Amino acid sequence: MSISCSELSKVYEGGKAGWPALLGVSFEIKPGEFTAVTGPSGCGKSTLLNILGLLDEPTGGRYLLNGRDILEMSDGERSDFRRDQIGFIFQSFNLLNRLPALGNVCLPMMYAGIQNAEMQHRAHALLAKVGLKGKEKKTPLELSGGERQRVAIARALANSPKIILADEPTGNLDSASSREIMDMLLQLNAEGITVIMVTHDKELAARARRNLRMKDGRLEA
Amino acid sequence: MIKALLNAARTGLAEVRIHKMRSVLSFLAIAVGSVVFMDSLASIVNIYSRLEQQKQVSGIARMKIVQNNSLRYSTPDEYKAPPVFTYANVRDLRNKLPWLYMVSAEKRTGRNVFEYEGRRVVTTLAGITPEWRKRNFVYTLKGRFLDWNDTENKLRVCVIVRRAVPPPAGNSGKAKREKPRYTNAFEVLATHNDLLGKVVKIDNVTFTVVGVMDELPASRRPKMSMAGYQNYNILAPVTTLTHYRFLREAFASLDVTIDAGSERDFDKAMRMVRNFLKTRFGDVDYFLIENQMGMLQEQMQKSIKASLMTISLGMLAFLAGGIGIMNVTLATVFARTKEIGIRRAIGASRWDIMLQFIVEAVMLGLIGGVLGSALGYLWGVPIKVMLGMGGSPIKPWMPLASVLIAAFTAFAFAIYPAWVAAGLKPADALRAE
Repeated sequence: MSISCSELSKVYEGGKAGWPALLGVSFEIKPGEFTAVTGPSGCGKSTLLNILGLLDEPTGGRYLLNGRDILEMSDGERSDFRRDQIGFIFQSFNLLNRLPALGNVCLPMMYAGIQNAEMQHRAHALLAKVGLKGKEKKTPLELSGGERQRVAIARALANSPKIILADEPTGNLDSASSREIMDMLLQLNAEGITVIMVTHDKELAARARRNLRMKDGRLEA
Repeated sequence: MIKALLNAARTGLAEVRIHKMRSVLSFLAIAVGSVVFMDSLASIVNIYSRLEQQKQVSGIARMKIVQNNSLRYSTPDEYKAPPVFTYANVRDLRNKLPWLYMVSAEKRTGRNVFEYEGRRVVTTLAGITPEWRKRNFVYTLKGRFLDWNDTENKLRVCVIVRRAVPPPAGNSGKAKREKPRYTNAFEVLATHNDLLGKVVKIDNVTFTVVGVMDELPASRRPKMSMAGYQNYNILAPVTTLTHYRFLREAFASLDVTIDAGSERDFDKAMRMVRNFLKTRFGDVDYFLIENQMGMLQEQMQKSIKASLMTISLGMLAFLAGGIGIMNVTLATVFARTKEIGIRRAIGASRWDIMLQFIVEAVMLGLIGGVLGSALGYLWGVPIKVMLGMGGSPIKPWMPLASVLIAAFTAFAFAIYPAWVAAGLKPADALRAE
């Protein structure tokens, strides 16, 4: 799964001229890379990640995902792409608090139409993999921050994605939990998954193989 | 597809369970609609079954020959005393059209004095022919009824009609506790004396009571919503009454009720009766033929109109329930924007989101419909009876229909909110708090 962006720009509507978040960003990411995107708040990191994850559309430039222009994809195709190829990890976990850990992990598989037995089996295995064996029935509200993020990682891995997009995955965690999550991401990368992580933790960024620094909607060389 | 539906149903059920209060409130709206709908359906069914009953009792193929009171004359010289329909005419008509089921003639007198063992009460007489028995016969008979021999020979015989105890007036508890009473002196006299075979005097003419008829109690009488149900006290041969001057033949034109026997023969009977009147009385319309079938049909149409009114009331209640569901669903969409964003991020398509909200709303509608049907049943049978409104007959298909309509209403009103939910941009939805 290769990512290729050229002159990506995004202007949010509002005000007279709108509010520019990205001002022409170009880069390529090869399959299997671990890339950290760093920069101060408001520099467009999250916007970039949303566009990369097909949650948002650029207002200018080209984004080729696996050689396909995402602006030519239908909503259904993008949804399928998100479901099957991309795993999201958010700063605020974004788990459904009503559902137990297991239910949260099952959700993407539900949308993929996977058989119930298979779905349960895989969800159990994934939760075990992130070290949450025995906590399948707990709801996110009964778990610690680190544990919640691990549920989120398990959920992101549910449909065996090729890319993991992590938006400040450790932003709400203490340093010990942060290290664990980072270790997990590195391990996933070692298994062949492309990881793109937005962070402003310099220490974490240093552990990534590649760093993209952003400022005011542009990449710094 | 089915799996997606099942999943949506599962999520919906969980959602309904979590937001119990909100769900109960929206059930309520639909439930109210359901109750009204069931009640109006029941009342419609009731009207139709009553009409059906009435058709069976009084026959739908009836017509009545009455004197035309609206003849106009331009000068006094033109006036001629109009002819009357006599007993002889009735016999003629009967002989001409023997295939008719009934040709019943009747004329009532004004006030008469009825005397038995020295007691005198005021009452009225009805002069009839034996075929009277073929109409609305809701009596039990002791002795015999009047026959052709009585009418042909002008015999002084009569049949006494004993009225059933009238139902208590009003629905209040007090009225129900009171013992029902007759208010009419003749009724008291007829009820408290065995008059069968006795000789009585009516306006000083002696009559022999050959039969006593008891009216069926009100509960066993077919309900008649149509006018024309009259009370009778004493029946006597119309010829006798004319002969003894209870009726003045020159003025007393008989009212003749004709029953063709079946709807099929009605038009034919009408035509032949009209011909009979024409040959007998000339081209002037001295008599009119009232079409009782037409009256019945008119009444049916009125009932249908009334039914449509009540049905539209039920529909209105469903509309209100539907708007409630729409409101709730719309509120849900805004309260769960973040969730929509999360679901979109992990791969739910627009269609998945739309399906989820629609299924949830339909489930609200279904549960509301079931609840409302139960309430409607309670309302239709025990509560209405307790309130003295008379129970509505609830047929098994009514709850089913109301549940289906409730579900459909919910579906229809959830489309817009679901469409709003599906239209949210994933990135924007995720930012919501």
